[in-house]
Amino acid sequence: MAINILIRFTPAKPKAGEEVRVQIVVQHPMEPGTRRDGTGKLIPADHINEVNVLFDNQLIAQVKPGPGTSANPLFAFKMRAAKAGQLKVTCKDLNGQTGEKTADLALA
Amino acid sequence: MDRRTFIKASAGAVAGTLLANQLTSALAQGGLEGEDLANLEKGLRQVLGKGFRDLTVSQQVKLVAPTIAESGANVPVEIEASLPADQVKAIHCFCDKNANPLLFTVILNGVLPYYATRVRVAETAPVRAVVETKDGRFLLASQSVRVTVGGCG
Repeated sequence: MAINILIRFTPAKPKAGEEVRVQIVVQHPMEPGTRRDGTGKLIPADHINEVNVLFDNQLIAQVKPGPGTSANPLFAFKMRAAKAGQLKVTCKDLNGQTGEKTADLALA
Repeated sequence: MDRRTFIKASAGAVAGTLLANQLTSALAQGGLEGEDLANLEKGLRQVLGKGFRDLTVSQQVKLVAPTIAESGANVPVEIEASLPADQVKAIHCFCDKNANPLLFTVILNGVLPYYATRVRVAETAPVRAVVETKDGRFLLASQSVRVTVGGCG
């Protein structure tokens, strides 16, 4: 099952040169590998260990979350809206599952 | 003791205290609650290849985290550096008492020096933001987070 990703821009349609906040939410349990289930067995670690953010196919940010990141994590950045383009987010977890999502940034 | 030797001696003493003050302020930012430098040092060395003493406490790094978090499983953290965007290479974040002190690393390449996320904090301990600049400096900001329910167990 592919990992579900949500992307939001604030403001949704920025003016050219304006600061825009990019919020990325990834739906993932992010098991840190330290929790135990009902019978006392350790739940194996399963968390996202790489998130790549690309703008027009150019890598603008890379996050490497450790086990200390919350479930359904939020990743928020700020960038200058110089031009309209496509934002692409890809992520990968320890079990090898991947997720990908694109969002178009339009200027006002 | 005549006047001259007295002045010399006291000047030395003042310089000595200043130096000592600087060292302690870099080491313990006013004694944060739940510090565990030994554990933190382990994580720092692993990731940065540098220890706590090599970091500079800086006002240019702003770390926003709650002083009291109801649940350690979901602590919002916001890091902002008042530096030009092209000078910041990466942002690292650590928590003293987590089993794995490194919370995350973000490599920035064209976005503004800002990052917000939610982290897990195992127990009451300081969260530390380390901003790595292109010229190889490591700027530190810390804040203690008091946790009522741990986030890693």
